[in-house]
Amino acid sequence: MIRTQLALLQRELWEHRALYVTPAVIALLASLATITGQATISVFNEAVDVAIIGGSNLGEAERSAAISALMMGIAVLIFMGMWILSIFYTLDSLYAERKDRSILFWRSLPCTDFETVLSKLLTTLIVIPLIAFVAIVITDIVILAIWSIWLMIKGGDAAHLIWSAAPLFDNWLATFIFLFSATLWGSPLIGWFLFVSGFSKRSPFLTAFLPLAILPMLEKIIFGTSTIGETIVSRAMPKPLFRDVDPSTYFSDDRISADQFVSVLDLFDLGGFLTSVELWLGMLVCGLFTTAAIYVRRYRDES
Amino acid sequence: MDSLVTARNVTKRFGSFKAVDDVSFDVGKGRILGLIGPNGAGKTTLLKAILGLTDCDGSLSVLGLDPFKERKQLMQNISFIADVAVLPRWIRVSQLLKFMESVHPRFSRSRADELLASTDIKLTSKVRQLSKGMVTQLHLSIITAIDANLLVLDEPTIGLDIIFRKDFYANLLNDYFDGERTIIITTHQVEEIENLLTDVMFINRGKIVLDAPMDDIAENYVELLASTENAEKAQQFHPIHVKDVFGKKVLTFERTDRAELQGLGELRTPDIADLFVAKVKGAAA
Repeated sequence: MIRTQLALLQRELWEHRALYVTPAVIALLASLATITGQATISVFNEAVDVAIIGGSNLGEAERSAAISALMMGIAVLIFMGMWILSIFYTLDSLYAERKDRSILFWRSLPCTDFETVLSKLLTTLIVIPLIAFVAIVITDIVILAIWSIWLMIKGGDAAHLIWSAAPLFDNWLATFIFLFSATLWGSPLIGWFLFVSGFSKRSPFLTAFLPLAILPMLEKIIFGTSTIGETIVSRAMPKPLFRDVDPSTYFSDDRISADQFVSVLDLFDLGGFLTSVELWLGMLVCGLFTTAAIYVRRYRDES
Repeated sequence: MDSLVTARNVTKRFGSFKAVDDVSFDVGKGRILGLIGPNGAGKTTLLKAILGLTDCDGSLSVLGLDPFKERKQLMQNISFIADVAVLPRWIRVSQLLKFMESVHPRFSRSRADELLASTDIKLTSKVRQLSKGMVTQLHLSIITAIDANLLVLDEPTIGLDIIFRKDFYANLLNDYFDGERTIIITTHQVEEIENLLTDVMFINRGKIVLDAPMDDIAENYVELLASTENAEKAQQFHPIHVKDVFGKKVLTFERTDRAELQGLGELRTPDIADLFVAKVKGAAA
């Protein structure tokens, strides 16, 4: 069972190379942008010095917060890429095998429909966030290293200014928690995409998104409310994970000027998130859609 | 006879249409059964029911298992080709072999390597880079590298050239078939597998028209090539089918004593394709 599942997961990585190529490309572009940015600064303004770019004129806590902000920027970038990737991957996962008729081959092997559909769900729920996490960690290290080199060229002390100030493990742990929370929070959408991928005859993308666009419109026209639309959109970001802080203004002036060291982890209310009814309802919906996808694969005649 | 496949009153409905209509038969261990029928006769539906790909009414047991409910167990002990050229196009040959090793307990990697060594297929190639014939070769190599009690082949050699087809059937008989294994095979090119079969089953409009060991065919069926006058005389023995060939008549008889027909013309055992036409058209007449 486990051996089969691992083989099926590996199969997904063979088939969908975008799963690791996409984060790698984003990471590479971010690193290149960093180098380009610094080169530009150096060329056009030699007067810009360590004090500003290296933050040597900032206090320890502010510098730490600034580096955290940079790392969060990288995380958000890859996270957005991961979401888009998850949508396209999931919509393709059960559709491609029917389109090229390879389902006839896959179903001739001793793998149940449950195991196969599960492998696609696990790819979206576990493998993609794991790859995103690894990509974020590597990008963080690379970009901070680029900063360090630049600082050292300028005569700054990178070990002190960057590496001892950067709350690496807090940030990475927070990223890890965030990625998986976001995935679980968004799982009803993922379940829906998986189901659409399993049943739609053509264009799973349209089949998946048309109802997501039309239902809110109908609701607006008929009832004048926008609950459905808001519910759908809210699943893109796990709001209940965050304490009563708005992440977009978290690093605004008053916090940065605070002398006290603030961990990104303090943003989270993991206990509250894991016990929230909405999370479990969402996962239930995901489970129902996945079960439906398994039944469709099992009972539909593909020839 | 140890029965590997036992079907009793198997029916598969699609709405009001019966693709398989109240069919009962047994397939014994060590048999090579040819399942023969026109397109839409219900062959593929019947095979799908045997392979647990579709559910059906009636009772069906394959290797003692309910194929639809115990599909995973069943798939570990049988191998089949549902359709040729359905290997995923993105996969590398080496990946495919590795995957098979991981999921199929009876897949022999060394046997597959051996079979592939005699072809032009490279392990580093992707399926999309192979010609159609090579994809089929690859598929057949993988399937025959599974040590299965039951091998089911649905039109296995479609799209292959004659040399490969001949080789394939020769290898199937010499290397794969050991008298213990059972093979069920469907094909349009009946004449190519005729000598291979131990049993033959004709199916038309969801019904079994004939289910017999090959040995019985020679015993029970005879074809008479006769002049028009002699053909008239032979009518009294109730041929199941009559056709015109070059101004002469070919009459097919079922369970008619050859001695009675002696002297009316040339007698011979009908080949499978002719017998099929006779049975199917005869039944329709």
